Amino acid sequence: MRRMRKLEGKVRAWKTLLRTTVGMGSVVAMMCVCGAAVRAADNHPDFTGVWRGMRGNGDPNFVRGWPKDMPLRDEARQRREAYHALVDPNGETPGGWCVGTGMPGSLLESGGYPMEIIQKPEQITVIYEAHTEMQRIYISGPKAHVSDGDLFPTRNGFSTGHWEGDTLVVETDHLKEQFDQTAVHSANARITTRYRMSQGEDGKRILTAELTMTDPDFYTKPVTVTKTWVEAEPDARMMLYECTEPTWEEHLQALEAKAAQ
Amino acid sequence: MKSLVLVLSAAGMIGLAAPAIAHHSAAPFDFTIRDAKVTGVVKEFEVANPHTKIVLMVSDDKGAREIEFEGHSRNNYYRQGWRPALVKVGDTITLLIAPRKDGSDGGYALNVIAADGTEF
Repeated sequence: MRRMRKLEGKVRAWKTLLRTTVGMGSVVAMMCVCGAAVRAADNHPDFTGVWRGMRGNGDPNFVRGWPKDMPLRDEARQRREAYHALVDPNGETPGGWCVGTGMPGSLLESGGYPMEIIQKPEQITVIYEAHTEMQRIYISGPKAHVSDGDLFPTRNGFSTGHWEGDTLVVETDHLKEQFDQTAVHSANARITTRYRMSQGEDGKRILTAELTMTDPDFYTKPVTVTKTWVEAEPDARMMLYECTEPTWEEHLQALEAKAAQ
Repeated sequence: MKSLVLVLSAAGMIGLAAPAIAHHSAAPFDFTIRDAKVTGVVKEFEVANPHTKIVLMVSDDKGAREIEFEGHSRNNYYRQGWRPALVKVGDTITLLIAPRKDGSDGGYALNVIAADGTEF
């Protein structure tokens, strides 16, 4: 009887071990912690999650992550000054009209709002909560190979990426000329962003982006800056940033007033 | 969720998310003052992006009148602790504001103390 109980105990222990191993196997299949980096199924670092930006180092030479003394060409500087002469007296901003910042400001500023990364082998999607700006980074497949003639300039541009070891390298171009963000740029600007992941002392993931904008039309030399995020707590969630209802309601009221005439 | 409360300068938030419908901006407010108190009865409390609109009925030395304030975005007030049931029309609430630079009525509401004492 005693031997039977001992045998049953051993069977239970083996079953438990088997269940644990199978369970762990499933997790390992999805992601594994290899050194400091959490890895995706394709063995690249997994950036998936909600991230919040870490505040800058307080360097007074930077504003919203961009050097105050940016090496602008004279014409670009003059046009920037003209823009600010127009909007600064009343403090007008695109955000006040529910218009997102655009790259690289969406990445560098985001007004302190969090961002979420959803990573698949063929595409990495970055969602900035503020104004729901988005970057779709095409890694492979037909979406990553679009001819120039099929693209047009936008505030966040067109992004493709590739891996160099554990570094995700993202190239962004087809940007719209912008004077209405801190990092002004021409339509010919090209941004290279190198993302790396590490682990903080508290075990949280740290994501660092080294961003270089090359824009010979507006700048005398490339500008390189760094931005860092820490992974948000497990219960942190992104919120919708619905912004344009008041404008629609204002329009509806105008329609109603017109109909009542 | 509180852990995701973002410590932001109000001026920075406004720079990104100033109001749309009223097309206001950060320019009129004196953010060196962040806790001037105004108490009144809620006439409107419209929590929205890119900014919140608050209208209070205020009665003080200058008399009884209606004053409009601006506030953070809905997302930021939420992360500061605002919830839809906290403030209703008719409640007496207190705003901690950055006043207008020109000294006129109004300001930017950095924090709100609801009728039940909850501060966000």
